[in-house]
Amino acid sequence: MTPILTSLRTTLTGYLRYRGREGHYSFLMHRLTGLGTLLFLIIHILDTATVYFFPSLYEHAIALYQSTPFMLGEIGLVFAVIYHGVNGLRISVLDLRLPEKWTIATQRGGVRMTFILSTLMWLPAAGVMMYNMLQHNYGMFGG
Amino acid sequence: MNTQKVKTSKNIEATAWRFMRLSGILLIPLAWFHVLLQDVVVGVHEIDIDYVAVRLANVGWQIFDILLLTFAFAHGMNGLRQVVNDFVHTEKGQRRMAWLLLVIWLIVSAIGAVAVIAGARPELA
Repeated sequence: MTPILTSLRTTLTGYLRYRGREGHYSFLMHRLTGLGTLLFLIIHILDTATVYFFPSLYEHAIALYQSTPFMLGEIGLVFAVIYHGVNGLRISVLDLRLPEKWTIATQRGGVRMTFILSTLMWLPAAGVMMYNMLQHNYGMFGG
Repeated sequence: MNTQKVKTSKNIEATAWRFMRLSGILLIPLAWFHVLLQDVVVGVHEIDIDYVAVRLANVGWQIFDILLLTFAFAHGMNGLRQVVNDFVHTEKGQRRMAWLLLVIWLIVSAIGAVAVIAGARPELA
């Protein structure tokens, strides 16, 4: 194998095999939600920029965002943005103000709380977005 | 657990480490308010180029969008650089990737900033 493939495999198997339980899942979720949000952000900056550069293309971009697959993706994106924010705030406060709390015992509880809090914040937003999708795309609720 | 404050010399990685935490805290109001307003309160079905034109004609929203563009995208691209460093193990490779990401960041940021500052042109749609 080439060195690039070897290092890729080493890192990926490390990502998957590391058995740190909550800390491990927290690390993976922070990375996945961050990368997912960044991917969307790049597309979003470029499609919104069409309002100035290619105004006739903007309605096509928006039509795509209004489609069911994209709206489901947006509902997932909202979870990613909420989770990454709550978890990032937890990391920031611990790193900058409470480094003595970086112990496995406190972190296991912190990770669970972060997940529960993020889910509770996400559910109402997801409900409204799902309602809008069913109303506009499937004619429900008098849409 | 005992912790000890250690003085470290200033270097770019330490600055990047602080930037991720401070920009992250700033992005909580900026990004969450943006998502809450556009995706939940307004909704993607109510958005068209006329809506964007009205929004970008307001200097307050332009400042908000420039702040969001600057901090969110810089935070994201630096995060991507850190993920890349997990997979690329040579110093030369990491340096090349950092430059590549910097160039992409500058180009996409410039495109976004021009659109926010110049505003929408619904008359050409």
